[in-house]
Amino acid sequence: MNANIHSFESLAALDGEGIRFDVFFTGCPLRCVYCHNPDAWFRSKTDMSAEDVFRKAKRFKPYFKNGGGVTFSGGEPLLNAAFINELAPMLRAEGIGYCLDTSGSVPLTDAVKTAIDGAEMVILDIKFCDPDSYKKYTGGNFDYFMAVGRYCTQKNKRLWLRTVIVPGINDTEENADRCAELVKEFKFERYELLPFHTMAFFKYENLQLPNPLADTPPMDRARLDALSARLQARLAELRSRRS
Amino acid sequence: MKNETAWRGFREGVWCDGINVSNFIKLNYTQYNGDSSFLEGPTERTNKEMKRVKELLIAENEKGGVLDVDTSKVLTILSHEPGYVVDKDTDIIVGLQTDAPLKRGVSPFAGFRNAVQACNAYGYEMSDKIKNEFTYRTTHNTGVFRAYNDTMKKARHAGILTGLPDAYARGRIIGDYRRIALYGMDYLIEQKKYDKAKVLDEETIHLLEDLAKQLEFMAQLKTLALSYGYDISKPASNAREAIQWLYFGYLGAVKEQNGAANSIGRIAEFLDVYIERDLKEGVLTESQAQELIDDLVIKLRLVRHLRTPEYNDLFAGDPVWVTLSLSGVSGEGKHMVSKTSYRVLQTLYNLGSSAEPNITVLWSEHLPQPFKDFCAKVSIDTDSIQYENDDVMRRMYGDDYSIACCVSAMKTGKQMQFFGARCNLAKVLLMALNGGKDEKEGVQIAPEGPVFDEEVLDYEKVLDAYKVYLKWMAKLYVNTMNIIHYMHDKYAYERLMMSLHDTDVERLMAFGVSGFSVAVDSLSAIKYAKVKPIKDERGVITEFDVKGDFPKYGNDDDRVDLIGKELVEYFYKELCKTPCYRGARHTLSILTITSNVMYGRKTGSTPDGRKAGEPFAPGANPMHGRDCEGALASLNSVAKLNYACCQDGISNTFSITPEALGRDDANRVDNLVTMLDGYFHQDAHHLNVNVLNREKLIAAMDDPTLYPSLTIRVSGYAVNFNKLTRDKQEEVVARTFHQGM
Repeated sequence: MNANIHSFESLAALDGEGIRFDVFFTGCPLRCVYCHNPDAWFRSKTDMSAEDVFRKAKRFKPYFKNGGGVTFSGGEPLLNAAFINELAPMLRAEGIGYCLDTSGSVPLTDAVKTAIDGAEMVILDIKFCDPDSYKKYTGGNFDYFMAVGRYCTQKNKRLWLRTVIVPGINDTEENADRCAELVKEFKFERYELLPFHTMAFFKYENLQLPNPLADTPPMDRARLDALSARLQARLAELRSRRS
Repeated sequence: MKNETAWRGFREGVWCDGINVSNFIKLNYTQYNGDSSFLEGPTERTNKEMKRVKELLIAENEKGGVLDVDTSKVLTILSHEPGYVVDKDTDIIVGLQTDAPLKRGVSPFAGFRNAVQACNAYGYEMSDKIKNEFTYRTTHNTGVFRAYNDTMKKARHAGILTGLPDAYARGRIIGDYRRIALYGMDYLIEQKKYDKAKVLDEETIHLLEDLAKQLEFMAQLKTLALSYGYDISKPASNAREAIQWLYFGYLGAVKEQNGAANSIGRIAEFLDVYIERDLKEGVLTESQAQELIDDLVIKLRLVRHLRTPEYNDLFAGDPVWVTLSLSGVSGEGKHMVSKTSYRVLQTLYNLGSSAEPNITVLWSEHLPQPFKDFCAKVSIDTDSIQYENDDVMRRMYGDDYSIACCVSAMKTGKQMQFFGARCNLAKVLLMALNGGKDEKEGVQIAPEGPVFDEEVLDYEKVLDAYKVYLKWMAKLYVNTMNIIHYMHDKYAYERLMMSLHDTDVERLMAFGVSGFSVAVDSLSAIKYAKVKPIKDERGVITEFDVKGDFPKYGNDDDRVDLIGKELVEYFYKELCKTPCYRGARHTLSILTITSNVMYGRKTGSTPDGRKAGEPFAPGANPMHGRDCEGALASLNSVAKLNYACCQDGISNTFSITPEALGRDDANRVDNLVTMLDGYFHQDAHHLNVNVLNREKLIAAMDDPTLYPSLTIRVSGYAVNFNKLTRDKQEEVVARTFHQGM
């Protein structure tokens, strides 16, 4: 089968362990206000078969020595779960693992479960920590995301969590505390806060899309570090309370 | 010849019975598998000397790049009294080119007019004494232009052949300076006399005269050392002497010659043998060992030549290319990392980052992990080192080769190179479309052929015509080089450097290409898109209308990458059809140094969409901004080029932001090492690594005082960013920076 591909990034060092080959699919069920890949909302001219993507990915095998591999991102990679499941055995035969970089905002179908089962790791975006904000700022279904998180935990899947912090929306201590509270039922290795940036604004202009955060400044680094520290402290506190 | 004192404790081997430094190293070096924790910081003395060096560098910069010029006499081995950075007692390793640090000498042997212009450019006037001396003397430059034919002159003028060493000294020759330390000058002189006595037949009269010249300068080198209070006739007996003896050899070479690149060779593992012995004997501490290496490196950082502004246009940043090759693996598969490999890298911390010496790590998968990690850390911290693939070069050059200049390998003391700059592949393509005419001036340069008249260019037809003109170019290029090097041997022979080579030296003739990615993408555009040529009023094609998309070099796409691979292979094959002067073997590089800006300026619009005058990408790099699948796809494209037909090197410069390389310092080191292993595993040849932000460069452009020692890797060497001209700074900033989003 074919998938519609937005682009590739052959040196992605942040989306998983080691050096990653990122495959960006098009299509996303969410419309996050801070989205930095709005161009991935729409179909591109590039349709590729699983074999095509496999052949490309295999070329980067020499760089996967320190735990690297393929990362499926997007858009929402789990919209292409069936495609991933077709590709996975080919990668596996070459000894190449894959990561899912997902919002988890899809129904937990069998195909999605299989895609998660086959991944060496899931990087799960926690868009917002309560159903109302989630709906308001992404248009997505909070329950879907929670179900994916729970499934990963139940399956003992390696899990990294991420939240983008946007000035004026979720850049508060209370939000950091809420995030910590929310994930206590997940088993995860790390939880990173990422700064909102304005480097993707040009994409909205090119696409002639309204940019809901056009007047929002980039997230202040020091403030982000303070919120990260707060989050880590809360997580540690909750962990110690549990044990 | 056995030397009980100097060679005490060394394992004996064939190196004792005749010159064989490689054998000596392999029998005696101490492999080091540990990490960098043993390294020492700078001593108080080193800091004192560096303080003086920094003052001198600031003064040099304030004076427009040249601190002082001695125009009273010609610079040669014995032209100047001893000079010191601080004073006789503070300098440990002694010797300067003239009697004061950063004072440049005048060397008109390669080109008299050039030397006059170089003096004038910095507000100096060449003395009458020198002018008189050269009135009745033929220089290399004069000799070459006597012999050039009209086509050669036209090709040179149009910029199809550019940067040729016909008005400046060729350089790229590396004396085996280690021989002086190991054997002493007297033994080396004795050997050369023996060789000279063996030369009998008429065929080798040329060689006979060469040897006479070599012997004369070997004697002068001994006198130079004596003027500093050292007798180098006997072998060095400790580490300090070994470094000093070796450095005298190098110093003599850079006093005698102002060649384009004066590299010092593969010296660290050799010197390590002496340092280890001193450490064992308890006469040297680690701190003192580091101090010796630091002081050698300080001296290497102070080497200067007097150049014209036109020269700087080709080779920006006032480089000397004191290329120092490190580590690698022996033919027996043992890695050759020693503690001194680390000590050399440590100078970048002790003395601060710097463009010189041009530290080149001979990378192999078999290097120990801690050393790989340390190299990566040094790269990330200083942007001052480059990497070349030992696993590939060892197959061609054995395990005792050194790198000259940027990427040119040669067996140390056994091979020399006739340097040949480069020809402009993009311009040859335009010439093929224009039936042999230069697209800029409309002048007929190559034999006349049909001008392409089609509405849309046909790939096969274009390729056929291109091959016809490449064939013509190759022949012209070899013949031009033959003239240049005949004359260079005749009028500006590297007497001292060649005396530190085997007498029956192998010669390589190093050709080069520029505009590689532009030519490749242009062919791809013609093949996969619709390219309509547009003629001007002279009937010369000067513009192209490109409809549709086409695969671009730098995205790991075989459809275009293989066009490039085959182009280089074809051109190399054509070069090999014309024999080289003195039986030299043809080699080829894809390297532009910084002349990609100048080559671009001389080249009209190309079918890939590049506009007339715009810079080329450097070396074998994909064109800026056209590699859109990320850094590794770009590396994979370059890795497809075949080193077997580019044995003079395939240069690739890579810039990445720290954030894109990894999430923290340890992760960045890990990823960079993995990346280098992955790239070189595919038999790629070379990588310059810069880990920095574009913003930092822009800030430095606007205010150079912000980062006075900001060092960046360009094409095969490092430069101080502030020494680049504005247009070169802009080109560097425009290059693809790989950054995550």
